[in-house]
Amino acid sequence: MPGTSLAVEADGLHKRYRSKVAVDEVSLAIPTGEIFGILGRNGAGKTTTVELVAGLRRPDRGTVRVLGLDARRDRARLRQLLGVQLQESHLHAALTVAELVHLYGTFYRDPLDSGELIESVGLTGSRDVRFQNLSGGQQQRLSIALALVGRPRVVILDELTTGLDPQARRQMWSTVERLRDGGVTVLLVSHAMEEVERLCDRVALLDAGRVVALDSPSGLVRRAGFAQRVTFLAAEPLPEGLLEGLDEVERVRADGGRVVVEGRGDLLQAVSVALVRAGVVVTETRGERATLDDAFVALTGRRLDTDRHDDGLRDEGRHDDEKEALR
Amino acid sequence: MTDIAVHRPGLRSWAAMLTCELKMVVRDTAGLIVPIGLPMLILVMNASAAGDEVVANGRTALDVHVLPLVFTMVVATTGIVNMPSFLAYYRRSGILRRLAVTPASPAMVLVAQVTVGVLQTGLGIAAAWLLAMVAFGAKPPVNAGAAIGVLALSTATMYAVGMIVAALAPTPNSAVAIGLALFFALGALGGMFGGRGSLPDVVASVGAWLPFGASVQAMSATWVGAPVPPAHLIGLAVSLLLGGVVAAACFRWD
Repeated sequence: MPGTSLAVEADGLHKRYRSKVAVDEVSLAIPTGEIFGILGRNGAGKTTTVELVAGLRRPDRGTVRVLGLDARRDRARLRQLLGVQLQESHLHAALTVAELVHLYGTFYRDPLDSGELIESVGLTGSRDVRFQNLSGGQQQRLSIALALVGRPRVVILDELTTGLDPQARRQMWSTVERLRDGGVTVLLVSHAMEEVERLCDRVALLDAGRVVALDSPSGLVRRAGFAQRVTFLAAEPLPEGLLEGLDEVERVRADGGRVVVEGRGDLLQAVSVALVRAGVVVTETRGERATLDDAFVALTGRRLDTDRHDDGLRDEGRHDDEKEALR
Repeated sequence: MTDIAVHRPGLRSWAAMLTCELKMVVRDTAGLIVPIGLPMLILVMNASAAGDEVVANGRTALDVHVLPLVFTMVVATTGIVNMPSFLAYYRRSGILRRLAVTPASPAMVLVAQVTVGVLQTGLGIAAAWLLAMVAFGAKPPVNAGAAIGVLALSTATMYAVGMIVAALAPTPNSAVAIGLALFFALGALGGMFGGRGSLPDVVASVGAWLPFGASVQAMSATWVGAPVPPAHLIGLAVSLLLGGVVAAACFRWD
């Protein structure tokens, strides 16, 4: 049967809410064992895309197969193999961590040991705390534990580390890396660049419901159009052609006293030497490598982080699709 | 890849779901007061006066009028007020959405919910019955089998009415509000406040067809050992059917 080595195979997905097109001709092919990132701004269609993959919504057009099974038609079989952490996941408020992990474990044929699972997400100290009394970060970790309790072969994690402190975030990242080591395919929705760069084998960049780029994180960074950037403030205009003539330099932009030099190789060193030789006094010199963020700007013309999700937004209690529909 | 069999959660999972549902009900203390506390209060308030007044067949007004009212209240509060508010909470909170991506089916929630509701009803009735016997010398119905039958039909009907509330209420709060309003309206028409004699004739006869009044009067008949007037049974059955149809047509899991 063709395509069976693909864990997730989405073909021409299209989903519209009222007048707003949330997902527009999205196609994905994710091989088994890959950590695949979906990156995009709020309302770009990330959540709708994974909900279509999870079989929670019916696409207006297009098909999704997960492990060779149709996401809607074969839902009953797929549920055993698919672990899902939803972005706005609410659980029985009056039940404790241990009770919820046990309950969700009973849904699956061969669940993980609940004690070990609770330990692995760092909730052992809170096992008898009711869901409603957990902190946001703890609720998030419990939600991830419940996505993993059935030993899934494909895991969907929507905003894995939103609301987590840096230590918990790193702990979650190692959990995801262990999943990959175990051959599990992970579909990771994120707008945390650092997370995507560290974890993902490949990333689909979504903008306005469309895949605008699909590549490895480093491949995407290359699309930023430059590898490195040096910025500084110059007290006086630079001599004509001073930096443009350097091998390392690809582009120079001056905006008042602020100069941005893009290029490759040992750019910072080359620029510094040239400036000193010419006797130009500069301040606030900064060298940086291109990031996914730069790639995002280059590809979509907008920054990724200007509209960051925060917990306040998540707690409004509206579904993401409604938010997307209103946008 | 196609060797994956459908695996439905087994008995262990049903038991876990039921246990969780029970724990939630017990932890929601306020939810227990209405179906168990309120009927007991009505019982205590009316029992001492009604206990001496013999109606027929050695059954007092307590047995014939107060107990059917109290039992109906237990069934109605659980079915019309508690069950819809729990279902609305489930639906609104996103729990059902979360369960929808697991092998568990929403039917598990519904069945666990109804089971717990029936247990609650049983507890409320047992408590009221025990109190009435021990403290006020209440006697069992002359026609006990029919009484149990009427109680079962009333329970089913109240749940069906509750499903209408659950289907139509947009939020958990409105489910409680609609449920309570409906409960008091049906109760008032069915003689919960001061007997049907004080109601205008038309209102009283309409009330006798509606679930609350029909349940009280049908149960009342079994207590004195009189045949149950078919009108009450038909009234209950019609409400049951109507509730089922509306729920099936309008109830949404998300």
